[in-house]
Amino acid sequence: MGWRLGVDIGGTFIDFCALDEDSGALRTLKVLTTPAEPGREVMEGLARLQAEHGLDPAAMTAFVHGTTVGINTVIQRKGAELALFATAGFEDVIELARLRMPDMYSMLCTRADPLAPRDRIFGIRGRILADGTEAEPLSAEDVRRAAALARERGAVGVVIAFLHAWRNPAHEQAAQAILRAEAPDLFVFGSAEVWPVIREYERTTTAVLNGYVHPRVDGYLARLGSALAERGVPATPMITKSNGGIMAASLGRTACVGMLLSGTASGVMGASFLARQAGVANALTLDIGGTSADVALVIEGEPQFGTGEMIGEFPLHVPSVSVTSIGDGGGSIAWVDGYGMLKVGPESAGSDPGPACYGRGGDRATITDAMAVCGFLGHTPLAYRSVGMDRGRAEAVVDRLARQLGRGVEETAEAVVDVAVSSMFAEVNKLIARYGVDLRDFTLMPFGGAGPMLGCLLARELGMARVMIPRRPGVVSALGGLIADVRSDFIRTLFLDVVPENLSAMQAALAELVAQAHRWLREEQRFGGTAAISLLAEMRYRGQSFELEAPVEPAWIERGELAALRDAFHRRHEAVYAFADAAAPVQLVNLRVVIAGATAPPDFPPEPRVAGAPVPERMVEVFHDGARRPMPLFLRDALHHGHAFVGPAIVAQEDSTACIPAGFAAHVDAFGNLHLEAAG
Amino acid sequence: MDKVTLQVFANHARAAAENMAYTLYRTAHSTFVKETEDFTVQITDPDGNVIAVPMDLGATWYPGLYYGRAIRMIEEGYEPGDIGFTNDPYSGFLATHAPDMHMWKPIFHEGEIVAYATGHIHNTDMGGAVPASLSRALTEIHQEGIRFPPMKMYRRGVLNDELLRVMLLNVRKPEQNLGDLKAFTGALHTGERKVRAMLAKFGAAGFKAGCAGLLDYAEHQAREVLRAIPDGDYDFADYCDEDGPNGHPVRLALRLSIRGDSAVLDFTGTDPQLTSALNVPTGSDPRHTLLLVGVYYVLTALKPDILLNSGLTRPFTCIAPEGTVVNPVFPAAVGMRSLTCGRLRSLIFGAFNLAVPDRMPAAPAGNSSILNVMTTDNRTHRTVLAAINPVVGGAGGFPTRDGTNGSGADAAYLKNTPIEITETEVPIRITRYGLMPDSGGAGRWRGGLGTALDFTVFAPNSRVTARNRDRCKFRAWGTLGGKAGKPSDFVLNPGTERERVLGNQDTVTMDPGDVVHIHSPGGAGRGSPLDRETERVLRDVRYGYVSPAAAEAEYGVVLRDGTVDEAATAARRAAMRAAETGAHFHFGPEREAHEAIWTPAAYAELTAILAALPVHWRFFVKGRLFDRLRTPAGDEGASRVRAAFEALRRETPGLP
Repeated sequence: MGWRLGVDIGGTFIDFCALDEDSGALRTLKVLTTPAEPGREVMEGLARLQAEHGLDPAAMTAFVHGTTVGINTVIQRKGAELALFATAGFEDVIELARLRMPDMYSMLCTRADPLAPRDRIFGIRGRILADGTEAEPLSAEDVRRAAALARERGAVGVVIAFLHAWRNPAHEQAAQAILRAEAPDLFVFGSAEVWPVIREYERTTTAVLNGYVHPRVDGYLARLGSALAERGVPATPMITKSNGGIMAASLGRTACVGMLLSGTASGVMGASFLARQAGVANALTLDIGGTSADVALVIEGEPQFGTGEMIGEFPLHVPSVSVTSIGDGGGSIAWVDGYGMLKVGPESAGSDPGPACYGRGGDRATITDAMAVCGFLGHTPLAYRSVGMDRGRAEAVVDRLARQLGRGVEETAEAVVDVAVSSMFAEVNKLIARYGVDLRDFTLMPFGGAGPMLGCLLARELGMARVMIPRRPGVVSALGGLIADVRSDFIRTLFLDVVPENLSAMQAALAELVAQAHRWLREEQRFGGTAAISLLAEMRYRGQSFELEAPVEPAWIERGELAALRDAFHRRHEAVYAFADAAAPVQLVNLRVVIAGATAPPDFPPEPRVAGAPVPERMVEVFHDGARRPMPLFLRDALHHGHAFVGPAIVAQEDSTACIPAGFAAHVDAFGNLHLEAAG
Repeated sequence: MDKVTLQVFANHARAAAENMAYTLYRTAHSTFVKETEDFTVQITDPDGNVIAVPMDLGATWYPGLYYGRAIRMIEEGYEPGDIGFTNDPYSGFLATHAPDMHMWKPIFHEGEIVAYATGHIHNTDMGGAVPASLSRALTEIHQEGIRFPPMKMYRRGVLNDELLRVMLLNVRKPEQNLGDLKAFTGALHTGERKVRAMLAKFGAAGFKAGCAGLLDYAEHQAREVLRAIPDGDYDFADYCDEDGPNGHPVRLALRLSIRGDSAVLDFTGTDPQLTSALNVPTGSDPRHTLLLVGVYYVLTALKPDILLNSGLTRPFTCIAPEGTVVNPVFPAAVGMRSLTCGRLRSLIFGAFNLAVPDRMPAAPAGNSSILNVMTTDNRTHRTVLAAINPVVGGAGGFPTRDGTNGSGADAAYLKNTPIEITETEVPIRITRYGLMPDSGGAGRWRGGLGTALDFTVFAPNSRVTARNRDRCKFRAWGTLGGKAGKPSDFVLNPGTERERVLGNQDTVTMDPGDVVHIHSPGGAGRGSPLDRETERVLRDVRYGYVSPAAAEAEYGVVLRDGTVDEAATAARRAAMRAAETGAHFHFGPEREAHEAIWTPAAYAELTAILAALPVHWRFFVKGRLFDRLRTPAGDEGASRVRAAFEALRRETPGLP
C-alpha cells in the first residue's frame, strides 16, 4: 500500500499530512519546530507516523515538502557572503533600488542594507545596449580583478547582473565562464539565468536573493535527502514552489528563488483545491498561524499570481502565488498607549516565548491570550497536545491591560480581539481595492492554527456572508504540496509593439520557451506524466510604466492572430483598471510559458450523510458580544456530513479551534468542511 | 466615544481612505498618478478637517489640508451627488498650483452632510505658457494654466459637461485629464461607500463622535510631543539659491516659539514674494498645510506611531506675512512652489533642531531635480519626450546612524525609472547612475550620499529640462559639529574642453555626443566627524562613499595601504579638534560668504524697508539692493542697507 506525505514547516509548528493512496484517507500530525536543527523534526514526524499510524517509510511514494529555510535565511540575514558584479557606472543598483522607501511619512525612514555589501560590489566594464548589440566589449581583466578582490573580501559566491542581460546575456555568460575557469571555488549565478526580465533592479535583486540563500538551502536539502534515504524512503523528495507548483528538491538547490515562498504558496494551493472540491468558486483565504496572518484571493477556483512579493525586506520578481500579510498572527501583543488607546501589534510574542497562556515564559497579552480569557480556547488540548493552555496566566496578563483601560478583564479581552480584527479588516480592504473585487461574491476560508479562531469575526467585520472552515485547517499547506503540479515558469522579455513586423520574433521566442519548458520537465525533472503548457503575455499601452498579464493562446502567436492578442490585453485592462483604449498601440513586454506536469489529485471519498442534530460535547460559558453566555462546544470529529447548528458555538479539534459568533448558521458538507452562513 | 471603539473606528477610517487611494491608483491614466503617485485622498469631517489619509500610497503633504474655505465658496450649498472642485491657488487656498485639481464629495446622512470624500490629482498639464504648466520663469498666475474657482463638477450626480469642455479645450493632454478625472470620481464614490458602511456600523452619532475623537487623538499626540520640547524661541533661516533665473538668494526665516503644548511659527523676515513661480500660496491660513509639512515629518520622527490628520495642526499657529514668498498676493505665480516647499521643510527642521538637537537628524539634501528629455529617434525620426529620473539626495545624519543614501527623509516618496526601460524607450545612453562619492556631509553620523546621473544623446537639438534645481549654493546644514552636505551640480560635457557648468539652470540643449552630468546635493552630517570611529571611515572608503583624500581632510583619518595609520590619525585629529568652533550648525562656505554681506542686522533692516513698501515694489527693491551690496559688512550691516535704499530711492522714479 502506497502513501504520500506532505510536510510544511512553519514558524511554530511543522505539519504533516499523509495520504493513503488506496483509501484516500488523510492522517495528520503537528510537531513543534526545532529552529536550531532544521530537518530533525521531519525525522521525528516520520517516526511518529510510523508508530501511531503504521505508515512505513519504505512504502512512501511521494514526499513533498514546504520549507521556510530560504526565507528565514533572508529574514535572519544568515546567507552567503556574496559578491555582485554589475555594469561599471551602475554599482549602486541594489542600494538605490527603486528609490521609494517604506514608511515615507517618517523623516527617519530607512531601508534594508543590501544583501551584498558595497565593497563586494564590483563595476565591470563592457556594455550591451537595449537592442542587444555590444557597445563596449566585456573587460575580462575587470572580471579577473574583481574575482580576486571578491575572494580576498570573503565572498563565497558571485552574482553577475549586467545591464540589458535580459536582451543579450553574452557578457554575463562570458564572465561566468571566466569565473568557472579561474575561480572554481566561488559559486556563480547570472541574472539572466535566474530570471531574464527587463528592469535591472528587479532582475538583480532576484538573482542576489538566489545567491544569498543558495548555500544554506543547498546544504539543507542535501541533508534532508540523505536523511530520507537513510530511513529507506524511496520517493524522490520534492519541494513546493512560490508559484504553487512543486519541483525535485535537487533542482531547488540551485533554483532557490523558486522556493522562497513555498509554504505560503502551497497553503493557497491547498485552500483552492478544497474550495473547488466543495464547489466554492471565489474564496478569500485566511491563513493565521502563531507568527503570521496572510490572505489571498482565489478567483474562479484559481489562485492569483504576481511578482514583487516581499522576502523579508526585498522584493522577489519571479511569479509567485500572491499572498498579502495582514498582521502577525495569534502572538500579536496588545498594549495601551499614553492616550489610553488599545493597540494590537506590530510587536509579536512569536513562537518563542509565545502567548502567556502557553506557559513558556510569555508575559504580555496576545490575541491568543484574549481568546483564552473570553473562554473560546482551552476546553480541549491545543495543537495535538504540543502546547499547554494556562488560562490563569492569560487572565493575569490581560488584567494588566484591563486596569489601564478601566474595564473588566473579559471586556478587555474582547476589546483586544475587536481591535485586532479591525486592523486586519483595514489590511484586507487594501487588497480588495487593489483587485477591484466585491467581497460579497467571496467565501472566507480560514485555515492555519489560528485562522478558524478569528475567521468568522473577520468575516463579520468585512460583511462577508459565507465562511468555509476546512476539515483539517491546521494542515492545509501540507495538503497543498500533495495536490500540486510539477510546475515551472519560463520568461522572455520582448518589448515589442504587437504588430505584424514583430511576429517572427514573437514566434521564435515562443518556440524557444516551449522547448525550454519541455526540456525542464522531461530532462531535469524526469517527469513522465501528462503535461500542459499555458502562455501568459505581459502587455501594456505604449508609454505606460507597468504591465498587465493576460492569459493568451499560443495559437494566436503561431498563426499570427495579433488582434486576438491585443484584444486579450484590452479586456484585461478593462477588467483591472476599469477602462481600455482600443486605439492605443499595445506593447508585448514579456512572454511567459508555464508548464505543469499533472499530479493525480487525491480522490477523497465523500462521507455519507447522517440524520439528526450534532451532539455538543458540553455547554461552555464564553464572553462574547459583551456578555457571558453559554454556548455549545462541538468536537470536530463528532461532526458529520449533514449536521447543522447555529452560532454562537465553538468547534474544537486537534489542530485548531473555530469560534462561531451568533448570527451564523453552520452545516457540514460531504468532505467534512464546515460551512457558515450569516443570517439575513 | 470610548477609546477601544475609537481605535476600531480609526482602523475603519484608514481603510476608507486606503480604499480610495487604491481605487484611484488602479484606475488612473496618467504617469503623474501611476508612476509619480502625485495624488492624495482624504476623508474629512463636515467642516473640512481631514480625519483619515492612506499610509502607503500617494504624496505626503496633505494630512492637515483644510477643505473648509473652498467648500464654503460654493455658496448655494450642496445636494447628494454633488462633487465640488477647484484648481485655483487663490480661491480658498486649497489647490496650491494650477495642475493640482482638488475635488470633494459631500456624504449625506438623513439630509445632513456627515463627511466629505476628498483628494487631489496632479494633472499632466492645465494649459498656460509652457507644457506641463510649470516653469520657474513664469511671472504671474495667468501664465500657469486655466483656473477654476470652487464650482461643481457634478450636480446631483450629473457631470457638468460644459465646464468640462472648457477645461479640456484649454489643456494639452485632454485625454489624460479626462481619464484621471474619471478615476478620481470613482475614488470619491468608493470613499462615500466606505463611509456609509461606517455609518451602518457605528451609527451617525457614533460616526460624528469618532471623527471628533480621531482629531482629538492626533491633537493629543502632537501636544504630547510639544510638551516634551523645552519652551523657547528658536530662530532659523534657510535659503533657496535663486529667486528666478540667475537671480539672488531667497531667504526663508522662522521663529519657532514653543510654550507648553503649543507652538507658533512666525515666518516674518522671509523674503518678499517673487516675480517668478517659486511662491507658496497659503492665504494667511494660520494652519495651512504647506507651511506645516515639515512639522508632520518632525512629529513622525519624534513619535513614530502618530496618527496623521488635521488634529495634528491644532497646537500650531503660523504667522506668514502677506506679500512674502510664503504668502504671496494675487497674481503671483506659484507653479514651482515645490522647490520652495523643500526649503520650507528644512527651515522647520532647523528650528526644531535647535529645540531638540539630541533627537533630530541633520538636514536632508533638500532638493530633487526632475529630469526630462526631448530628443529625436534616428530610426523613426519621431520626437520622443520622456521623464528620465528624479535625482534625489540623501537624508541627514540620524541621531544614531548615517543618513540614508540616495533617498530618504522628506523625499522618500519619489520613485525612479529603470535604466533598461529608459534606454529601450528613449534614444539616449545612460553612462552612470549611482551614488555620488564624497557628497554626504562629514560627521559622527555621515549625511546620506546624493545621486549622480550621466547620459549622452544621439540627435541634434535634444532638450533636457531639470525641474526644481536648487542647493547648488546653499547646502544642507550639518549639526552638532557635523558638516554640511555637498552642493548639487549640473554640467554639460564635464572634463572636456566643451565643459559648461549649468548650476541651477534648468534647461540645456544638447548635440549628438554631448554628455550631461547631474548630481543631487548630499545630506548633512551630524556630530563631529572626528568622533566617527576610524573603522567606519575606513569602511566608507572601502565602499567608495568617501575618498581617501576626504577621509583625511574631513575626518582626520589617515590611510596607508588600505589601513588606518593610527599615529598619523591621532595627530591629525588633535590638530583638527583644536580648530572646531562648537557652533550648532555648519552651513558651508557659500552661506557663510553670503551672510558676511547680509548679516542678521542687514536682513532685519531689509525686512523693515520692504514691509513698508507696496507689494509690487518689493521684489524689485530687493534685487537692486542685492546688486549694490556685494562686499562683506562689518557692524554697519543695517545702516549700509538703509543707505543703499536711500540711494536707490533717489535714482528710481516712482519708488515711494
